[in-house]
Amino acid sequence: MGFSYVLPILIGKTLRVLARLRGGGSAFPGYAALRLAPRFLHEVASQFEHGVVFVLGSNGKSTTTHMLSEVLRAHGVRVFTNPSGANLPQGIASSLLAEVSLTGRLKADIAVLEVDEAYALEFTKVLRPSTVLMLNTQVDQLYRFYETERVADMMLDTSARATEHIVTNREDPYLSKIARRIVGDQPDVTYFGASAEVIASSPHGLFNATDYRDGESSSEEHVALGELRGLEGASATVAVRDSEIEIVLPAKGLHYAIDAAAALATAAVVLGEGFVDSAAQRAFERMKPAYGRGELLQFGDEQVEFVMFKNAASLQLNLDALPEPPEQVLLAIDEGTPDISWIYDIDFSGLDHVDVITGAKAWQIALRLEHEGIPIGRVEPDLRRAIDIMRSLPKPSRGIKTWVVNYEQMMLARKLIGFGELENQR
Amino acid sequence: MSALTIVQLYPDEMGVAGDAGNVLALSTRARRSGHATEVVRHEVGQELPANADIVVIGGGPMSAMRRIHADLMANAQTLKLWADSGVSFFAYGAGAELLSHGVTAGEAELSGVGVFPFRAERTGERVVGYLIVDSVDGPVVGFADHASRWLRNDSAESFGVVSAGVVPAGQAEGVIIGSAIATLIGGPVLPLNPDVTDAILSRALARRGETYSAGAGQEGLEEHRALDHYASEARAVIRRNAEHHFKRI
Ligand SMILES: [Zn+2]
Repeated sequence: MGFSYVLPILIGKTLRVLARLRGGGSAFPGYAALRLAPRFLHEVASQFEHGVVFVLGSNGKSTTTHMLSEVLRAHGVRVFTNPSGANLPQGIASSLLAEVSLTGRLKADIAVLEVDEAYALEFTKVLRPSTVLMLNTQVDQLYRFYETERVADMMLDTSARATEHIVTNREDPYLSKIARRIVGDQPDVTYFGASAEVIASSPHGLFNATDYRDGESSSEEHVALGELRGLEGASATVAVRDSEIEIVLPAKGLHYAIDAAAALATAAVVLGEGFVDSAAQRAFERMKPAYGRGELLQFGDEQVEFVMFKNAASLQLNLDALPEPPEQVLLAIDEGTPDISWIYDIDFSGLDHVDVITGAKAWQIALRLEHEGIPIGRVEPDLRRAIDIMRSLPKPSRGIKTWVVNYEQMMLARKLIGFGELENQR
Repeated sequence: MSALTIVQLYPDEMGVAGDAGNVLALSTRARRSGHATEVVRHEVGQELPANADIVVIGGGPMSAMRRIHADLMANAQTLKLWADSGVSFFAYGAGAELLSHGVTAGEAELSGVGVFPFRAERTGERVVGYLIVDSVDGPVVGFADHASRWLRNDSAESFGVVSAGVVPAGQAEGVIIGSAIATLIGGPVLPLNPDVTDAILSRALARRGETYSAGAGQEGLEEHRALDHYASEARAVIRRNAEHHFKRI
């Protein structure tokens, strides 16, 4: 790194300050820095002793990035990571700008980055990952990706560009077959997964997409370096190499447990012999629930449990993780999720009623639930009024109200009940 | 009397657009108006039932279309025969294209069953967003998400004409022939549009010599009231938001 980057970095940082003054974390400064010094990212990244990890997947990128970062930190590794959801190239460049010194120095040993699938391959040209972690391929955002296999290919092609390691999901029909595409022995391929018993005990399995283009539509069999062996509420047993680690998950659900297995396997690959079970375990003990994922927030003299979903798979696995039908439920979905055709593929029987349905798509959800015969209290598309209705309901016996929300409604609801947005919070 | 038989073709492969919702709307409304229903899921390698009253097929990726293609063609004669004898069809997206005269996607070509008088051509232009159509069975609202152009035979009757949304108004939408409907409106469309669902059920039950008392309107069935109310409110919101096009990210 040298002097040649001072000017672009300075400009980038200035733009960033200006953008912040205007409110909101604009990605434009990152874009400007990328334009002014196209080799900027590459140079910054070359300082990371443990390289750069890309985290890809239809679901669980933020959660897994967070878990992996925390496990590495518990090993004394300094981690740079992008804020949750800031996963486009400009956003990543922008967050690097915030941390980097004027001479381009960054005090971190590794970068763990969640990267949007659609930009990941192109992004490897400016920021070459040493390790690519692939989580899952789910039927998701078809309006954006057209066909699920296209998303799978975006991830598979990106992972093949890793300079050292690929960590992939053995239980994913598309992603488990990555080794077929690798010529030679670089990058090496490591698997994570869940035992057959754990998967069999899940009412709707893992909800990963079927690989229709292949003769074998299910996933390949492999030995997994990180394997989920047991799950009871938020307690999970994950085997890493030969030993079983008992961990506490930040939220209940099979998807979070598999994310944990993915994070542990990746940490073991990155750290090699340096991976220590007790450090990994400690990391999970300290981990706070992620934004909106099993998070409990104060609501008068009651508490609200946020259950956030992004697609069919996360909604189904969240519903499957409910120990019993929640006493008081708000269900919220808006235009932030443009196509909700998939609500007809969801088994809502984990709910025995819904008190309030809200968001611009409330009536469509009500229509879906009525088809399944699930009793509905009120439909109130306006979130503010819906929250007032929830407030007016008697206190549930456990004092906890359950709000099942899409990302946009989660952010808005948090704000409405007095919890601000922290950019680096996840 | 035997149950009203609804056959869903390849629900796993050709059902990614919530197409189970179309089956659910048909069976729920039929049952709530006192008609027993039986839903048959037809998978690759299975035999079709001897009779069907309604056939439903939905959307899926090209790889899924290829996967079921041989099985579908092996059953083409039966499906044609059913359509010719007045069995109701509700076909959406890629499934509808497989029941047409064929699909062209670049160099690739898949033959079709020939129930519907059109050919499908995959284009580079993706159409995504709410869509409102004046159909032969009344106004229809839904969500479009496809990259297809349907080339209708001269004699083919379209299902409707676009009135608002992501496709320019005035454009023809879908195909209807006899009791068979092919459309590119998803959502899925039947729960959202009880008039269409009721029209399909009326035709299917009439063919069996039964009468269907629809839930639409003020004198409608008590059992349909909640379904109709939610659907009508959902359509009103969609109508208001129809001009909102989704940006390609
Ligand atoms: Zn390494």
